[in-house]
Amino acid sequence: MDKSYEFEKPTFIKRIKGMLGVDFYRLFHTPVFYIFLIISAIIPAMVLGMTGTTSPNGEITPLYTNTWQIIASNEPMYAVKSISEYANMNMVFIFGGIMISIFIGHDYKSGYVKQLFTTHPKKQDYMISKTLLGTFSMACMCITYLLGGFVAGLICGYSMDVNFGSLVCAILGKIIMSLGWASLYTFLNVLFRKFFGISIASSFFLGTGILIIGVGSVVGNSTMLNLFLYGSSVYACLSSNFVTIIVCLVCSLMWALIYNLIGTLVLSKCDVY
Amino acid sequence: MNAIEIRGLTKSFKGMYALNDLNMNVPVGAIYGFIGENGSGKSTTEKLICGHLVKDKGEIKLFGKDYTDAGVRNSVGALIENAGCFPSSSVWDNLMMQAINLGIKDREKEINRVLKIVRMEDSAKLKFKACSLGMKQRIGIAMALLGDPKLLILDEPINGLDTDGMRIMREVLVDLSKIGITILISSHILGELEKIATHYGIIRGGKMIREISSEEMEKRARVFTRVKIKDTDTCLSLLKEEYNDVRLDEDSILVYDIEDTEKIVEFLIKNGHVVKEIEKNRIGLTEYYIEIMSGKEKN
Repeated sequence: MDKSYEFEKPTFIKRIKGMLGVDFYRLFHTPVFYIFLIISAIIPAMVLGMTGTTSPNGEITPLYTNTWQIIASNEPMYAVKSISEYANMNMVFIFGGIMISIFIGHDYKSGYVKQLFTTHPKKQDYMISKTLLGTFSMACMCITYLLGGFVAGLICGYSMDVNFGSLVCAILGKIIMSLGWASLYTFLNVLFRKFFGISIASSFFLGTGILIIGVGSVVGNSTMLNLFLYGSSVYACLSSNFVTIIVCLVCSLMWALIYNLIGTLVLSKCDVY
Repeated sequence: MNAIEIRGLTKSFKGMYALNDLNMNVPVGAIYGFIGENGSGKSTTEKLICGHLVKDKGEIKLFGKDYTDAGVRNSVGALIENAGCFPSSSVWDNLMMQAINLGIKDREKEINRVLKIVRMEDSAKLKFKACSLGMKQRIGIAMALLGDPKLLILDEPINGLDTDGMRIMREVLVDLSKIGITILISSHILGELEKIATHYGIIRGGKMIREISSEEMEKRARVFTRVKIKDTDTCLSLLKEEYNDVRLDEDSILVYDIEDTEKIVEFLIKNGHVVKEIEKNRIGLTEYYIEIMSGKEKN
């Protein structure tokens, strides 16, 4: 039986389309995504409605004075002094990190990743697809977060005063930053693929931005911190403008490229197991 | 042409060689039974072919092309260790995801096709975690069959299956072979493998020590007579004096390469022994494998 075989080589577009198709099918057919969307809506509502300081005479003063402070701080505050300066839409990046960890963790735990790599997907396809999936998920979470915060602000009767253009720029900036964060989490989960606990813990730890907060408390509010994911995410604040979006775009793309390249290298040089 | 051609494949884990200069040839259309002891390197070889592990050195060619070629990879299906399905998703959803990944156009038709092959048409809505082990193995094969692969790699697919499960699996594999799919299958259950395999590869210590077709094995198959007798020890010495290859197997004596069983009976009676039971047989895969592994193979 001596016959030669011809095999059609799938193009990069076809491969990515396949991978994204799988990831999005899974995203919409499993409850994890919807649970995180709900969490993203509930958390800002809870923070806005339930946080405050109690004065010695028992009077409760809310931490937030304006609804939109739950979206972003008024100015870029890298080193935070209170929870109200920290707890804003950047929290979505923590939820996103946990969600991506669960997704990639399940890929490895179930053995599905073996099915993927047995066929045509390349390691770079996996990195790109998971990054885009994470970006989309976090962008959706940003929207439910916005809705949750807005509704809670209305119910609590907080001020709605804001520079609408800056608010839009801040939200867009944070949505753009989802790309960089998603690539970081994808990289971390690929790096620690054999250790689900470490994957999720490292995603959570870096997602909190604690490293940049620490550096910020030493060096002050330096714009150099915008080079980092958390820095640019903070930079997208209620005084944002078009430049903010450019800064977020450059930072996010730069890190997405770096993490995808290193992640691809790690996957290519190491065994799947 | 070979569906799989491996030359000098080496893989080590933390300095320990799992495969050491392995060569392998799996002809197109074969059901290749890959056998060896635990830790001999069967799974490592299969994982390397599937691209799950990174080789240290060597060459792997599938249908004459490098195994990393995306085109040829599209024609490989595998069931390695487990089905690789999401437990909380349904059988249908799991198959659908793989079908999307492979870029299959008429996905529903294709999923129904593979479910029919593995006799699971009625179980598509079941959650994967609710399936029995046998069903899970068959779902794994269904996953591997999506997109009409030319090569199927199965790692111990009949392990843990009951008799009925084994029978169904055997029928499925024979059906697949009939439609021209090359199958590489590793298993410890040699009796089952013997019923379906057309070729065998025996691996030990990360090296291929023998590749043989079932036809060749049939030709080489030695005759042996199993004799059960009261005084086994005395009889064994007696038979050893008379015949070249006589071995003790639990409470029986095996006399090799003697076509005429009656002569053995006559000889024993002449020497005052009463034969309780006598049976003539040909050595099968199990015996051949034991011979090879013990270094007693007769060329």
